[in-house]
Amino acid sequence: MSYAKAILSALLVLVLGSMPAWAGLGQPEASVTSDQLHMKSEHRVQDFQAYKVHELANTEGAVVREYVSPEGTVFGISWQGRSTPDMNQLLGNYVNNFQTATRDQTQIRQRRGITIKTNDFVYTNFCRMGVCSGSAYAPRLLPNNVSAEVMR
Amino acid sequence: MKRQFFSTALAPPFLLGVMCLLAVAGCGGSNSRTATTTTINNTATLTAGSGPNGLSGGIVNGLYITVTVCQHGTTTCATIDNVQVDTGSIGLRLVPAAVGSVTLTPINVNGSPLEECIQYGDTSYSWGPLKLADVQIAGEKALNIPVQLLGQVTAPPPSATQPTAAGVSCLQSTPNSTLPGTPPGNEDTVATLGSNGILGIGGFIFDCGNNCTTVSFTAGYPYYICPNGTCQAVGVPTVDQAVNPVAQFTSTDNNGVMITLPTIASTGAVTVSGTMNFGIATRADNVLGNAKIYALDQCGNFPTVTFNGISYTDTQCTNNTGGMGGFLDTGSNALFVSDANTLKTFGISDCASTTAGVGFYCVSGGTATLSNINFIGFGGVGSANISLNINNATTLFSTNNAVFNDLGSDSVPGGSPAVDFWDLGMPFFLGKTVFVGIAGTAAPTGVNVPNGFVAF
Repeated sequence: MSYAKAILSALLVLVLGSMPAWAGLGQPEASVTSDQLHMKSEHRVQDFQAYKVHELANTEGAVVREYVSPEGTVFGISWQGRSTPDMNQLLGNYVNNFQTATRDQTQIRQRRGITIKTNDFVYTNFCRMGVCSGSAYAPRLLPNNVSAEVMR
Repeated sequence: MKRQFFSTALAPPFLLGVMCLLAVAGCGGSNSRTATTTTINNTATLTAGSGPNGLSGGIVNGLYITVTVCQHGTTTCATIDNVQVDTGSIGLRLVPAAVGSVTLTPINVNGSPLEECIQYGDTSYSWGPLKLADVQIAGEKALNIPVQLLGQVTAPPPSATQPTAAGVSCLQSTPNSTLPGTPPGNEDTVATLGSNGILGIGGFIFDCGNNCTTVSFTAGYPYYICPNGTCQAVGVPTVDQAVNPVAQFTSTDNNGVMITLPTIASTGAVTVSGTMNFGIATRADNVLGNAKIYALDQCGNFPTVTFNGISYTDTQCTNNTGGMGGFLDTGSNALFVSDANTLKTFGISDCASTTAGVGFYCVSGGTATLSNINFIGFGGVGSANISLNINNATTLFSTNNAVFNDLGSDSVPGGSPAVDFWDLGMPFFLGKTVFVGIAGTAAPTGVNVPNGFVAF
């Protein structure tokens, strides 16, 4: 790597590292990098016919997968790990939907899990014996012919 | 030390009892305290129902036991009823009010009280110190073991405004006022917890074990000290970690539990009583009999469940993606199995949000029977063919009953088989005797159960 390139990368990391927290759901594909830095994770991209999956996995076994539409928008997120990840980081502007869901849109499994279902936002999380998993997506952002079942 | 037991398939209960009486050293190991094994009471009473908050508290299918905690080495004790029995967690955690004036011994690490943070899946959390107590259930005693006092705050938990140096908060992502984790969000009162405490007796000895003897991870790490009000993660020897009290019993009845609950009508019952015998095949009253052993994977799950031509596998344990296979959990208050879309051909749907059964399965035409469900043990050790009845939750909740053997719900609401699992909650235990064997303790001979087992 040339000296100039090294400086450029360093600058890029600085810029991205200082990006605001609204990466993730509903945001452009480029925001995945912000989540990657937040998680201090490895980054792998899988291409499927109708969508892409950015998989962020850190050394502690936490995995976040961000599902990107052909238009380049993150339409869904899934996660696995020892705890539920920081939703302020991952939900983008949809964190408002998380925070304003009403009781009748919320299904709680005492201590184990929670599901929020609204027209614009679906969120589910479950923890058992120190292992958590879940997903969040925006139904309106699902690409044509892609079901929410792809998130796992 | 691995202790060996006689094959209960060959030895009738009476004979096994005689063998233990004749061979105390063989049954009880080398510890002289075990000489009394054959006389102490290993049977505790269980109560199933809505618990201390009553039906208006919203809990059905709670399972409760009475636990006595004492200041170590004294007769200063509190006898605490309505402690929830949870085979889906590890450790005894109590509401401080239930412990009352009994003073437990603090555990200090580097001169500061040891605190534990538990982040629950529903956005709530528990935070409080671990303290040493003598714990007695029925006639069984565990001496000087760590017990968590939920919310007995000696220091506030790390939060978004005051996280640890690694950026960790015990409070989870800020939810709105309808979610359980809404500040304070701490599950530490009878009102929020729905019990006087939780008796976590899943199939492991420690709640974290070797992963927490040093700080080997940050997100979701449980143990902290908070010198000068700023919390930091801290490595904790297993002797100071939250522990399965059964595994610490001074008797030989420390390799698991046997839970027996009566059969009830399909419309439910207000409350029922059952028993929990401590020990598995350690004496005449806890032999396996006709129960079959099913080995579990390293996450405590059946690695594979098959139903209706679909396989539900615990890929989460192995590959960090997908579902969790199946498991038994008294702390789950329903049969959280598959999902409504996958089960729709059986007449199953999610109850409408306007109905009493919201959050659970409704069934067109009454009860749905799911038969030929195969639960396959780890390494192929044990394969159970079971059948579950699912009743209409709105119909069930139109009664004043609080115990149901046929209450169901989605494992993952809106899910699909790739992420679903089969959580055989409290309803599954009704009308059965179920054994939960603790990994790393004396297992029955001749079976390979490195991660513990269940038997039924």
